[in-house]
Amino acid sequence: MRTPRRFSFGLQTCSGLYLWAAFIITFGIWKPDLFLTSATVHSIASSQAIAAMLALALLIPLTAGVYDLSVGAVINVSTILVVEMQTKYHHGMWTAIVVSILVCSAIGAFSGFIVVKLKVNSFVATLGMATIVSAIQLIISDQSQPLPPNSPAWTSLTQKTVFGFQIVVVYLLVLAIIVWWVLDRTPVGRYLYAIGGSPEAARLSGVAVGRWSWLSLIASSTIAGTAGVFYASLSGPSLTYGQALLLPAFAAVFLGSTQLKPGRANTWGTLLAVFVLATGVQGLQFVTGVLWLNSMFNGVALIAAVSFAVWRQGRPAKAHRERSTDIEHQPTDDAVERDRLAASGASTHQAQPG
Amino acid sequence: METQLRTSTEPIPYREPTALAVRGVSKTFTGTAALTSFDLTIAAGEVHALVGENGSGKSTVIKILSGYHQPDPGGEVLVRERPLDFGSPDASYSHGCRFVHQDLGLIDASSVADNLAIVAGFPCRLGTVRRKELRSGARRDLARVGLDIDPDRLVATLSPAERTGVAVARALHEDPSHPVALLVLDEPTATLPDREVERLLGIVRAVAARGVGVLYVTHRLDEVFQIADTITVLRDGHRVANLPACDVDRAGLITLLIGSELDDVHAVSAELPPEHDAPLLVAEGIEALHINGVSLEIRPGDVVGIAGITGSGRESLLSVFFGAQRRTAGRVIVQGALLPSGHPARAMKAGVAYIPADRKTLGCFVDLTTEENVSISDLRRLWRWPRLSHKRERAEVSKWIERLDIRPGAAAAMPLSALSGGNQQKVLFAKWLRRTPKLLLMDEPTQGVDVGAKADLHLEILRAARDGAGVAISSSDTDELAALCHRILVLRDGRVVAHLTGSRVTAAEISRACLATDERSGT
Repeated sequence: MRTPRRFSFGLQTCSGLYLWAAFIITFGIWKPDLFLTSATVHSIASSQAIAAMLALALLIPLTAGVYDLSVGAVINVSTILVVEMQTKYHHGMWTAIVVSILVCSAIGAFSGFIVVKLKVNSFVATLGMATIVSAIQLIISDQSQPLPPNSPAWTSLTQKTVFGFQIVVVYLLVLAIIVWWVLDRTPVGRYLYAIGGSPEAARLSGVAVGRWSWLSLIASSTIAGTAGVFYASLSGPSLTYGQALLLPAFAAVFLGSTQLKPGRANTWGTLLAVFVLATGVQGLQFVTGVLWLNSMFNGVALIAAVSFAVWRQGRPAKAHRERSTDIEHQPTDDAVERDRLAASGASTHQAQPG
Repeated sequence: METQLRTSTEPIPYREPTALAVRGVSKTFTGTAALTSFDLTIAAGEVHALVGENGSGKSTVIKILSGYHQPDPGGEVLVRERPLDFGSPDASYSHGCRFVHQDLGLIDASSVADNLAIVAGFPCRLGTVRRKELRSGARRDLARVGLDIDPDRLVATLSPAERTGVAVARALHEDPSHPVALLVLDEPTATLPDREVERLLGIVRAVAARGVGVLYVTHRLDEVFQIADTITVLRDGHRVANLPACDVDRAGLITLLIGSELDDVHAVSAELPPEHDAPLLVAEGIEALHINGVSLEIRPGDVVGIAGITGSGRESLLSVFFGAQRRTAGRVIVQGALLPSGHPARAMKAGVAYIPADRKTLGCFVDLTTEENVSISDLRRLWRWPRLSHKRERAEVSKWIERLDIRPGAAAAMPLSALSGGNQQKVLFAKWLRRTPKLLLMDEPTQGVDVGAKADLHLEILRAARDGAGVAISSSDTDELAALCHRILVLRDGRVVAHLTGSRVTAAEISRACLATDERSGT
């Protein structure tokens, strides 16, 4: 992606795009009157916007090899907080939004403190934080689902339509562009990927490993908090939806790491994964209405896609050979071998807790 | 491809059943020949050296023998005159082939005993590991290679030399149903100092004396002459020579390998006069783990070598200067600026560059591309609001690829893992040299690098020194120190015990200084 000249639309990098096209064609032929409508497009786009934001939140620390398991709890507490502040404590909408997001940033800062200063494994630290945050949510909500605020400004915050799409889709796009810019076009992104590659090597290259890991956790919590506000405006308060979104969001990031830039968690791959899966699920739901479909489909797709990526890259060094026209390029057996290991490692290492 | 020196292709006559016979084996990776019609015969009890530059096909040979690669149809491999089924590690094992790979394959977080038992099997009763038996078995395996290590120690706490020993012990574990016929050692001495190399060679001789054929793959030519009965030279997948070790000398072997590039380095090194300017680095009374009070000054143009056996402090001194490791006492002053302990970013700001010995985990990012690896050392100069200029990055990296002859030429966008070890090391040099550092600290700068790449890297080091940088090199390769350095500090027990200058800077003198001190200490 960074080198448009070399970017190829091969199966290696873009299997998701082809799968997406296949879904659209299949369901378009199968159920043309239901599936091929602008209503379907709009509904998939806005129903997945929050899940996609949460996936982007996870993506940032994950590039640095830092797991943030607390985003599910954070997005939920943000939803409850922003609603309670308006309905129970009668604060203004913008005050409620700003305070909710700031609280979430503070949660991220605290996670970062545990990970960086107390040197607790991020997996453990954020798992603990997730539990603490859900306790805080119970305190705030008093175990009863609050009523949604009753103001047109509040609902139009996300539900106003732009070209037929709810405006939350535009927010997602803006967020994605910012995340992509940071990860792909700024030194910060380089630092994060370097830390993800090897924290000690990054330190010896002068990268402030602690600072960037810390900031990545603040960023993920802040994005999750923002997404929580949008969710409250879009769907109304819910006490439990956050945890249910957490694992699908991870799945999307891992699935996304097999796309566009294989072996590396990346912005557009993550979004692609979210929407390909949603399209498949939506199409299948038009065909049959069974309840288990969503989870089954997402799980199978994740395993199938990552297995496929490992298998594709596992075969000897063809990724480079096919694309390279440089005759000087004579891959050594060492290189072929390393390539193999790297390819399989790249697709599997992220599945292991930090 | 055959050379003028010796073109013998007929196998060496053998007395006993051959340990290994390879006939006409080729291996092609999607169109690229890695190995072409390769022949090799190793008699029982023979030590056979396989030498060649990186990418010459040595690893392919090993991987075919270990059942990792399936060769092209047509060739055959006989182990103790029994044909070997290709592509099966199990068949390779049951035929009696044992391997010690360069990446030793030890589990750092496990104990020595567990590492030994993972291959040999754990002694169990009712599904529970019998710890006592496990330990005594481990001691037995270690004793076979002359190692005295507590089996309960974690592998992570061992020195590189001890790790190699454990890996050899593991490979040679007795298995009555599948006796050892062939031991393959892939770069076993890459990180070992001379004394331990001697010890390892002793082990190898003992193994060979028991009728085991040994295939010894190495970059270190000295060892070839110390240990090998026969030498096979590979270049670009072709066997270019197969001759008794007594029929060739060091220079002849280097010519077979690449040409005569190493001589140039020595010439340049001799030209360099140490200047007498204000020191770039002043280190006073440094104390840290394995370091007990070292003081050192480095001036512009200086090339200082740090020698010593494993555990002498040689491995950690430079990383303490840079701040990779913390110091407990002493001052490090670079160009007048006091460096805080354990703060590499500050050292870099003061103009220090540091190349660590452990390339894979400390030196580089194998999953990132070559250009990302190079540019990480200074991204600010590539930043043009609102983005990193990829054009500038590509231009700069291409320049370095050309200057250091990094291969393949299209390496910039490839993940570093796709490059051979020598080329990875060159990338690491590019990463640091682009900052034009005032002080270059290098641990094992050419470790596991082939002869040709080594010469390139040596020239870069000397070039930096000639341009006014101060250089400190810590290396277990005494030839390298002798070729590059104006003076040598010899460490023992974390202290400087000898200071060699002028005509005393020779490989033999360095080795003697390292060993002499060691004998006195009685370890």
